[in-house]
Amino acid sequence: MRRALPSVLSVLIALLVSFIAAAFTLGDLGQAASAYLAMLQGAVGDWPRYFETGNPSTVLRPIGEAGTKAALLTLTGLSVAVAFRVGLFNIGAQGQMVVGALAAAFIGAQLQLPSPLHVTLALLAAALLGSCWALLATGLKLWRGVHEVISTIMLNWVAVSLVENWLVVGPLKATASGTNSLSGTAQIHATAELPRLVADYSRLNLGFFIAVALAVAVTVWMQRTRAGFESRAVGLAPKAAEAAGVPVARRVLQAMAVSGALAGLAGGTLILGTELKYPATLASPYGFDGIAIALIGQGHPLGALGTALVFGALRAGGTHMQLFGVHKSFPELIQGLALLLVAAKLFWERLVAKKPAAGGVT
Amino acid sequence: MSLDLAPGERLGLIGENGAGKSSLMNVLYGLYHQDSGELAFDGAVARIRSPQDAIARGVGMVHQHFTLVPNLTVAENVVLGDEPTRGGLLDLEAAVRVVDETCKRLEFTLDPRERVDRLTVGSQQKVEIVKALRRGAKTIILDEPTAVLTPQETEDLFRITRQLSEGGATVVLITHKLKDVLAFATRIAVLRRGKKVAEVTPAETSPDQLAALMVGENVTNDVPAAALAATGDAFLTLEHVSAPGLNDISLDVRKGEILGIAGVDGNGQRELAEVVTGLRPFTHGVLKLGATHWKKLTPAQARASGVAHIPEDRLRRAIVGDMTVEENVALGRQHVAPFARGPFIDFAGRRERTTKLLETNDVRPLDPLARAGSLSGGNQQKLVVGRELDAKPKLLVVVQPTRGLDIAAVNAVRAKLRAEAAAGCAVLLVSLDLEELLALADRVVVMFEGRLNGTFARAACDELELGRRMLGAEA
Repeated sequence: MRRALPSVLSVLIALLVSFIAAAFTLGDLGQAASAYLAMLQGAVGDWPRYFETGNPSTVLRPIGEAGTKAALLTLTGLSVAVAFRVGLFNIGAQGQMVVGALAAAFIGAQLQLPSPLHVTLALLAAALLGSCWALLATGLKLWRGVHEVISTIMLNWVAVSLVENWLVVGPLKATASGTNSLSGTAQIHATAELPRLVADYSRLNLGFFIAVALAVAVTVWMQRTRAGFESRAVGLAPKAAEAAGVPVARRVLQAMAVSGALAGLAGGTLILGTELKYPATLASPYGFDGIAIALIGQGHPLGALGTALVFGALRAGGTHMQLFGVHKSFPELIQGLALLLVAAKLFWERLVAKKPAAGGVT
Repeated sequence: MSLDLAPGERLGLIGENGAGKSSLMNVLYGLYHQDSGELAFDGAVARIRSPQDAIARGVGMVHQHFTLVPNLTVAENVVLGDEPTRGGLLDLEAAVRVVDETCKRLEFTLDPRERVDRLTVGSQQKVEIVKALRRGAKTIILDEPTAVLTPQETEDLFRITRQLSEGGATVVLITHKLKDVLAFATRIAVLRRGKKVAEVTPAETSPDQLAALMVGENVTNDVPAAALAATGDAFLTLEHVSAPGLNDISLDVRKGEILGIAGVDGNGQRELAEVVTGLRPFTHGVLKLGATHWKKLTPAQARASGVAHIPEDRLRRAIVGDMTVEENVALGRQHVAPFARGPFIDFAGRRERTTKLLETNDVRPLDPLARAGSLSGGNQQKLVVGRELDAKPKLLVVVQPTRGLDIAAVNAVRAKLRAEAAAGCAVLLVSLDLEELLALADRVVVMFEGRLNGTFARAACDELELGRRMLGAEA
């Protein structure tokens, strides 16, 4: 838990600094406070109003929005965190998410299957395609020595161009019905939709629980199994891992396959949960956010989950700040600031550590 | 700390690792600054703030790790930082002349136009000395100069330094080799924990007395030599094995035997160790472990066949510094009991085994959760040795096991290796330190340029002959 302290402090300081900035730009402390309150109510629900009116939507809707966003951030954050563990920097979560989203949209619209099977198949397709996309870069790394930062970031653009500039406007374009022209791919069948939990009040769907379950699964894998132990050793000291008989290439491939699958699942969840088709452009950079989420969570799967819950909530609340003259992207500013503070790790270590550890002098 | 140096004197500065030898000399050379006290040259107090100040006062230092630019020539390296010019242009001919003159004066051969990375380590050291002399050094500090030299090169170095001191220069030799200091110095200062504990002349002391002064208690430097091990069957056999850096190697290591590999650094010893542990693929030949023939060997297969490895590069090859001590103990056996249960880590079993291992191997601190990187070098090595022996290996591949350790740790590690061989393990020991090989090995094989150049039983080992073979001489 001690390890989480720098992250928690970073987020708190980022919130505080942003508040001061908001107060200055609005020129009114009271209005800034109101904006923050609105953000809070948008994030965890307007409880006073609920007790007053008894209307469940005052709390269920905000919480549902927060959960929906948190699910996507969790999945992409996990994706980046898993790659970190074997020492790779997967900047390609966005591209892997895009191809995953397309796979889910395709299966969802083109096949006719009973519901549980349809959802499962669409999600598996999303995971599989995301995985393949990540393995392209990993293969280049292992066998051709191409640095993964370069290859994954370039594959992001390949994915976006392939999907949005060709497939979605070409072969997979929805056929116009009647006089209405449609953008994006065809709508997925109802059987492929992720079941919603309280359908009348919120868009919160099964994706949230899948994300949480996967965060726990990744934690068990990395912290409690020997395969995870070997993967961590590969990330921290590849030469020592090799000498210890760890199959280094296999562990790297495994982790990157999972990393890509998680990002692909984020895409699948986005389509099957809320978008219901692949739109003309997927304007959600959740893949890039995953980098920030993983870093603030210090590369730990549960850290990524916690961070994603916080920023999912803040983002859901951010839209409510607009009423007070604050742009809805404000939570992203807080996120960026927190990331900067976490990245200034040395500063924290000096502040939090009791004393520098005794040096390795013989 | 008080110390004085007279012109024409050769001072031997000895002490264990961390005794303060290097710190003292770094103060003199301007790399560190004293908290209190003063330095005086020719009776005048001087402030030395940087190596430039030190050079101006005639202090020159030959570092343990050379500070030469590998792909410049000897002459270019010698003048680097203070280049002679003619009409604003670099005058390399003048540089070549300087090197030639100095070499003639000291009677050694160096081609000023040769690139430094093509020279032997001994010659590179000479380049450093020439460089210091050219800057007008009257006091020359040699930091662990013999660590990488053959006996011949060491003698050559001592001859040169003797000549320098007869010419009025002061030479300081920092070392922890007792033999060297006795052969070299006119006066010996012993440091312990940052204090000068004794000042003696070679005539009035003995290796045992110096060792005792260094450690502060009576320790014998030698582990008593075990009776020559009863020869078992060969466990490791190489037949005409070649690999990048290795050329047609055939040898065997028998059960209960320590086979020493001697050679000047970089003649294929490291490659040999890597081939045997599966870390380096070999292109030709057959490797036999027990009764199994291997044409290709992975590190996991080597470990499964009973090969344990104590590598030279502890922090890169043996230990994950950012993991805990207990995680490092599991490394290499992470998939078997007591470290694993099915696909999961066996946390309780791991803790129990680690605690036992730390106790029996005297690793400090006795904390399974300490970060391995925070342990001292000696304790890290004890951890690695303990871990590898705990696997009950049939073949132990050991590279430079005592490098950088203090006497107590050196003795502990050597005793472990002896005991392991006595218990029937085959041991392949690579060391650059002839003394270590002669103290431990039953047989010594010399390597030169990737091939074998002679095998000697310990009884028949002659240091000078070994040295000749290390430099490539034929039988």
